[in-house]
Amino acid sequence: MISRQSLIVAHWEFLRFFKWKQQLISYLLMICVMGAIALWSYFTDESRQTYRIAVPVELTLANTEQFQFQRPSINVADQLAQMRTDDSWHAVVTEDQGQLIVHTLTGKKWLTQLESVLQQHYRQQTAAKMGLNAEQLNQLEQPVTISTRYLDESYKGKDTPEKMIAMGALILLFVGLTTAFGQVLTSITGEKQQRVTEQLTAIVTPQQWMDGKVLGHSFSALKAMLTSGLVMLLVYTVVSVFAKKAVDLSWLNISVVLWLIPFALLGIVLCASFMGAIAASIDDPNNSGKSAVMMITWLPMVFTFLVIDSPAGWGMTLLSFIPLTSFAAMPVKMAMVTVPWWQPVLSVLLLLATVYWMRRVAGRVFLRGMQMYGKEPSWGEIVRWALSNKTE
Amino acid sequence: MQLIVTAISKAYASVQAVKHVSFQINSGEIFALLGPNGAGKSSIIRMLVGMTQPDSGSIMVSYQQQHFDHVPRRLLGYLPEDRGLYPDKSIEKNLLYLARLHGLSKASAMQEMAHWLAVFDLTERRHDELKQLSKGNQQKVQLIAAVLHQPALVILDEPFSGLDPINQEKVVLFLQQLKAKGMTVILSAHQMAMVEKLADHMLLMAQGQVVLAGTLQQIQQQSQPLRQMKVGFNSSVTVSQLQQLPAINGVEPLQANHFMLTLADEVGVADCLKQLMPLAELTQVEMQTADLHQLYLAAMTKQQPEVAA
Repeated sequence: MISRQSLIVAHWEFLRFFKWKQQLISYLLMICVMGAIALWSYFTDESRQTYRIAVPVELTLANTEQFQFQRPSINVADQLAQMRTDDSWHAVVTEDQGQLIVHTLTGKKWLTQLESVLQQHYRQQTAAKMGLNAEQLNQLEQPVTISTRYLDESYKGKDTPEKMIAMGALILLFVGLTTAFGQVLTSITGEKQQRVTEQLTAIVTPQQWMDGKVLGHSFSALKAMLTSGLVMLLVYTVVSVFAKKAVDLSWLNISVVLWLIPFALLGIVLCASFMGAIAASIDDPNNSGKSAVMMITWLPMVFTFLVIDSPAGWGMTLLSFIPLTSFAAMPVKMAMVTVPWWQPVLSVLLLLATVYWMRRVAGRVFLRGMQMYGKEPSWGEIVRWALSNKTE
Repeated sequence: MQLIVTAISKAYASVQAVKHVSFQINSGEIFALLGPNGAGKSSIIRMLVGMTQPDSGSIMVSYQQQHFDHVPRRLLGYLPEDRGLYPDKSIEKNLLYLARLHGLSKASAMQEMAHWLAVFDLTERRHDELKQLSKGNQQKVQLIAAVLHQPALVILDEPFSGLDPINQEKVVLFLQQLKAKGMTVILSAHQMAMVEKLADHMLLMAQGQVVLAGTLQQIQQQSQPLRQMKVGFNSSVTVSQLQQLPAINGVEPLQANHFMLTLADEVGVADCLKQLMPLAELTQVEMQTADLHQLYLAAMTKQQPEVAA
């Protein structure tokens, strides 16, 4: 049961790193960055311009929106010399022993499109020489279509929207844990260095203090996940609008999103408790190697990512039940295969029990660490404290 | 609140920080823990606050017909030796947070805060971030934080350190106000003059043990470190004449024909006067009482000659 004091600590910790002004500025900056990228991309897009290309008499090329193929009245050497002095010609194409050569001043992005047009023309010429008609040529150019049919009906497919949701969930969890990592470390070691800890522990119990910290920073992490998710949706919407496509969100699987909430919440609380325990054992973050251990909490995402293409395999099944990894693995598995109802329920219950144990461990480590007065405990001591029952 | 501490001991690794210390504090008293650095004062305070547990001995608390084997957090206000609050938050936010943790409603916290900020002349600066304040003002905020919730017991570890004489006097007034409100106060300090003004009872410690305990008068009676006598003569007497007297151990000349004499061990005042009278007619004889500072130094000299030196 979370005490009133823990909720006050949680509220304080949440607001401590949440400043409206800074938040709005960061969102504004994010929008400005996105806008700048879009504008830069628009103004540097060479495909919207028209280019004059000089081609030899033997080549008969139809003009496109981008390229105007013309046969100049002067010889090639004069054309090349002219191209150096003014921009009336953008490229000169010559033919040498069946090979096409493009002469231009310097490397440009539109050259790729020009090469594509020339290759298409060359293929058509070759096909004509071989006596192939346009339809035969078209058939040759089409790649073979290979589709896979899965006998396991629970598997929703490989590159489906569900996989995108699963990947999105992993990215969001990573964002959440990165936020929690920074805040828990700064908050706990900062309080120690600012000498606030002793004052606070005369008011609240170490467990209440740790619960408040974990809860406050978990909500911060969830807030970061939510805002990142919204930004991802915003980017998707903006891209759709720019691409003149309808904004389609029908691929969003609400059931998976709803399951993601308890898994993400418990996973973040579990990891924040672990981080809290480690941070509580650090006396001086500048001279301690322990903070790197907190990055272990990123492993569940990495492990899950490595088996994402086998969502029904033993690896994913194992990860989706182990409480230390299930918060990342089970939502991904649920997004990609249909699972019986009891699997996520069991997974959540196991995770809940582990969260309870981990928060007690964090409280114990904080209590005993505080009594060390400036001396950093060894790993052996931390393990002993974690396994002891003393919380007061 | 009554606090009875019986034979508590505490060791850290190989260091015996506190050895069988006992004392009793009655409700509404100011109790001073005195001693040099490392005497064990902070260790006792941390046990009282509940941050550590005694290895042996007991702490008994009685409050409103209730009895506890520890000091309940809700009854406690604490100013730690290593102090600090959130430097990038305002005075008001810092105090409100701590008051809410103590269980006060926002309205009560604001009311109490207004009172104490006015006492310390900090009302105008309540929206300032803590890091913008001087060290002395930060200390005042910390003192307010310790009493905002009107605790029955206030424990202040070195409340005068880092303060100039004017602010030290303000803290003396603050402590007197706490006493007037009926709070029991435990303080540790090195400023003997302040303690002498405030403390009802005191405990002098060295190397984890009690050296002297009681009221100032009781301590003066327990220890007689310096027996000094101020004397005046109606005609000229020299320092060397006085130094030759067997009853006198030291001579400090004051104004003309007036001296501060330190009596030799086991010499009575009457014996001393007998030896002085032949030199000249005595116009002033005044026995000097040792103040707390002298008592402290004398006690520490006995316990730790190198510390006092």
